[in-house]
Amino acid sequence: MKKYQVATVIWALSMGASQVYSEEAPPCFESRKGASEVAVREVSPGLVNVKCSPDTGTVLWWGDPYDGTQPMGEMPIEADYSKGEAVVKPRESKLQLMPLCGVACHNGSYPPVPKDKNPRALAMHQDIIPDALNLQHGNGAIWCLDCHHTETRNKLVDNFGNEISFNQSQQLCGKCHGPIYRDWRDGIHGKRIGEWAADGKKRWFVCTECHNPHDVQQGSRLSGFAQIRPEPAPMLPKGVHNTDHEQHHGAGEHKGASETGQAEASTH
Amino acid sequence: MSENNIPIVDVSDQPEPAADCVERWEPESGQACGQDASPQSRRDFVKAAAVSTTALMGTAALVTGSDDAEANTTWAEHFQGNYRLMSEEEKAQALDRLEKRYSLEYDKDVTVDGTEAQDNVLFGYALNIQKCTGCRRCVKACVQENNQSRGDEQEIEWIRVLKMEKGEFTQEKLQDGYPGDYGIQVGGNAYSASGVVLEGEHYYQPDKVPEDDSHYMPIACMQCEKPPCVKVCPVRTTYREADGPVVVDYNWCIGCRMCIGACPYWARRFNWGEPNLPKEEMNPKTHYLGNRPRMKGVVEKCTFCIQRTRQGRYPACVEVCPVGARKFGNLLDPESEVRRVLARKRVFRLKAEMNTYPKFFYYVD
Amino acid sequence: MKTMIQFVVDYWSYIFKGGRQYYIWLGFLALLLVPWAYGNYMQFTQGMIVTGLTDQVSWGLYLANFVFLVGVAAGAVTIIFPGYVYKFEPLHKVAVLGEMLAIAAVIMCILFVLSHMARPDRLWHMIPIIGIYNFPHSMLTWDTMVLVGYLLLNLVCGFYYLYKKYTGKPLNNKFYLPLIFISIVWALSIHTVTAFLINTMPARPMWHHGMMPIRFISTAFAAGPALIIVIFQIIRSNTALWIEDKALDMLSTIVVACLSIGLFLTMSEVVTELYHPTEHSGGLRYLMFGAHGLNNLVPWFWGSLIAMLSGWFLLLVPRIRKNYKVLPYICVMIFLGIWVEKGMGLLIPGSIPTPIGEFAQYSPTLIEIANCVGNWALGFIILTILLKGAIGVLLGDVKFAK
Repeated sequence: MKKYQVATVIWALSMGASQVYSEEAPPCFESRKGASEVAVREVSPGLVNVKCSPDTGTVLWWGDPYDGTQPMGEMPIEADYSKGEAVVKPRESKLQLMPLCGVACHNGSYPPVPKDKNPRALAMHQDIIPDALNLQHGNGAIWCLDCHHTETRNKLVDNFGNEISFNQSQQLCGKCHGPIYRDWRDGIHGKRIGEWAADGKKRWFVCTECHNPHDVQQGSRLSGFAQIRPEPAPMLPKGVHNTDHEQHHGAGEHKGASETGQAEASTH
Repeated sequence: MSENNIPIVDVSDQPEPAADCVERWEPESGQACGQDASPQSRRDFVKAAAVSTTALMGTAALVTGSDDAEANTTWAEHFQGNYRLMSEEEKAQALDRLEKRYSLEYDKDVTVDGTEAQDNVLFGYALNIQKCTGCRRCVKACVQENNQSRGDEQEIEWIRVLKMEKGEFTQEKLQDGYPGDYGIQVGGNAYSASGVVLEGEHYYQPDKVPEDDSHYMPIACMQCEKPPCVKVCPVRTTYREADGPVVVDYNWCIGCRMCIGACPYWARRFNWGEPNLPKEEMNPKTHYLGNRPRMKGVVEKCTFCIQRTRQGRYPACVEVCPVGARKFGNLLDPESEVRRVLARKRVFRLKAEMNTYPKFFYYVD
Repeated sequence: MKTMIQFVVDYWSYIFKGGRQYYIWLGFLALLLVPWAYGNYMQFTQGMIVTGLTDQVSWGLYLANFVFLVGVAAGAVTIIFPGYVYKFEPLHKVAVLGEMLAIAAVIMCILFVLSHMARPDRLWHMIPIIGIYNFPHSMLTWDTMVLVGYLLLNLVCGFYYLYKKYTGKPLNNKFYLPLIFISIVWALSIHTVTAFLINTMPARPMWHHGMMPIRFISTAFAAGPALIIVIFQIIRSNTALWIEDKALDMLSTIVVACLSIGLFLTMSEVVTELYHPTEHSGGLRYLMFGAHGLNNLVPWFWGSLIAMLSGWFLLLVPRIRKNYKVLPYICVMIFLGIWVEKGMGLLIPGSIPTPIGEFAQYSPTLIEIANCVGNWALGFIILTILLKGAIGVLLGDVKFAK
């Protein structure tokens, strides 16, 4: 339930974005539902920016992979993104973090600066974090202020207290997730779209476009990636009228020579 | 079946020859003006002469065809030769004919590209089955890009995602062993999913993926270095291009389906009927060997999105994968992501014992 | 030249000198061509979507009939071989009838290939020089080559023999005998190459073993003579041409001998594949027992096995083998048994499961069946016509009159 509310809130926020969108097509999402909505529009005659799935609402195809992107910006380490043109979709405008966030809360008051980073219950943001004392990231080893800047709340923070833009969340995530960060810099973790050449122009997907930093554990799955709705199954071939033959799957052996070959469904 | 009432394209609508050249050969032979009587053109002349005698067969096919795209195929297209053996001018004419036909049929500005393979490029692909969630977005993205037939009886999808169940070993299953009394010959855990199961499920449709006890493996054309499909083709219509993908010249395919029989990965699909491709859904940027709309009776399959990759772009499936499981690049470039994967990850080929040497690798982190 | 034209004219006009039963037979076959014409029209215009074929099972009834008929065409050698190599006179006298059967069977093969090919209008792509003939890499090119060669061989040998008989001139054995011996070896090759078409694909484990050519030849040499026995008995009872009992005995011996080999191979395949079944035995298990609830081929397998086994047992007994009242029925049973074994028992389950493990089912549609039946009917019309003329020549009814 809560996730649905989060999705609605963020969706509503992004509806207020300054992007132009067509009246007919509802926005669809690129990678993470609720965090990466994009509006379908025509970028040039006959070419739409994205095509979306009629079944799940996900983006299936980019007509213009660089639509709505900006340069990645300076990164502290030389890597694949230094070879060719690297662009990202800015998260800051997507998240609609009002500049006021950086100084005060929404109601105009100025909360006291926290003295330490010990976990405590939050009076707000239940839509993002249902239970601040049970953060679904790090299994109790980290808390909000390990990632969010204590004072300028519309920025993330590194180990030395310096600000990190939401557009470059990889600098923060890579702090702990080193091997993944290394793989990401080399283009073998995560996602890039655009040109395949090593020095081609690519749009790099930053960490939070795919991973929800506030719920990476996904309960007992511990997978880092939320379950998603799959696209429909392929068409059944002629001669097969249902998927019964696949239901009790998984027999390596068939009991006895006289049996019809129906797999035993002892635990299925 | 499309119900377009499209008029037959005028056969005489051929490109004008240059002002200073003399028309030497029949237009049908696709011979460009000004070509001298080289062995190539003699061969074409023989071909044109011999082929005109078999025109009756073609006539019957064209005449009895219902008013669909087939009826609009010009004579020239019907008797064109194998694409790979065409001269530059013949290729240009073939592409032009197709652009005109497709644009008329789909009411769009269709381009049929003929870009050749670049030097020093060999396309390779790596898929991380550790990450694949079985969401099938690659399957649908491929369909968005590649103009496959769709609809009730004619849906073609080049990628097939298999769900591999894991199941579990349990004490209860021990009772299922065979035979029970004289010492177990087959353990009960063999009769259902335990550990991992070889027979993948194709038609899974849960609410959410990945399901708890499964991993997923998408399969499409492996673009083998030693493709069994190429070897069995009686007319050499399917062949391996210089930059790696195995392609099909759809206008040359005779529909014998030997290649479908020979492929160990079940990667090839067939247009059993006239393809059903709605105009709105057609992707107008096509390549002759790639995603241009096919006709009935020809084979088709993944080409690593040749229309995109030859223009420098990633294939559609690589771009859409929400978990970044798909990696693509130039196998000859040590800095490419696919080479990095091959260097650093545990990589394997599907059915490696077939000795087909796929350029599509699977890996785990 | 004039004699040749006269030969054609006399041959052709003899075809119309038949009795009531002859015309009823031809009329019945012609009636079967009506749904065939419709079916071909549908397939030509709509494409092969009117059949029951799918991407999962893409080789179906057409190719099954093709494979079987190549065997029947090769089976003509069971007359030629004893007739010419062992100089077995009862078969030597009527050897040309075997050649007529071979011609008709190869024509039927071509018809089935045309039905199977989705784009017959592009057949010219296979012709060398004007198209591309992927010889020697593609087995299909070997197959077309040997089939066309076999057809030509039989046309030449058969009609040369008939023509010489027609004109009353002696055969030029220097020309004729080498062709006959070539055709004996060639007959073996057509079915071997057809077996290679199937067994050289590692993607299809049910077919991918070296036993396939032997199995094909042995069942072909059981089905071919079985059909020939039936044809000979029909000729015996309906025409003035008498074919000796010894000929029928030789043929039925060949049937039972080759069927023994065929059944032995089947048994060895079943034991090998089912002793410790692997994923590669999936097709055979699907065929024999069904798999995952899909079992529409199971009755076909057991039916054909029972037909072949009982036919084999019966023919082992000389008293039954020489009982010419029962013999044709046993031969029909064996013929049908082998037809099912080739079609439903080999071609279809070869594609099931698919190379990536999907189990599917295949049922031919009515149009497909109409096309198959029609192809057989057309083949039998051609066979009847060829045999009629040949019998006329052998009897001396068709003779060159100056």
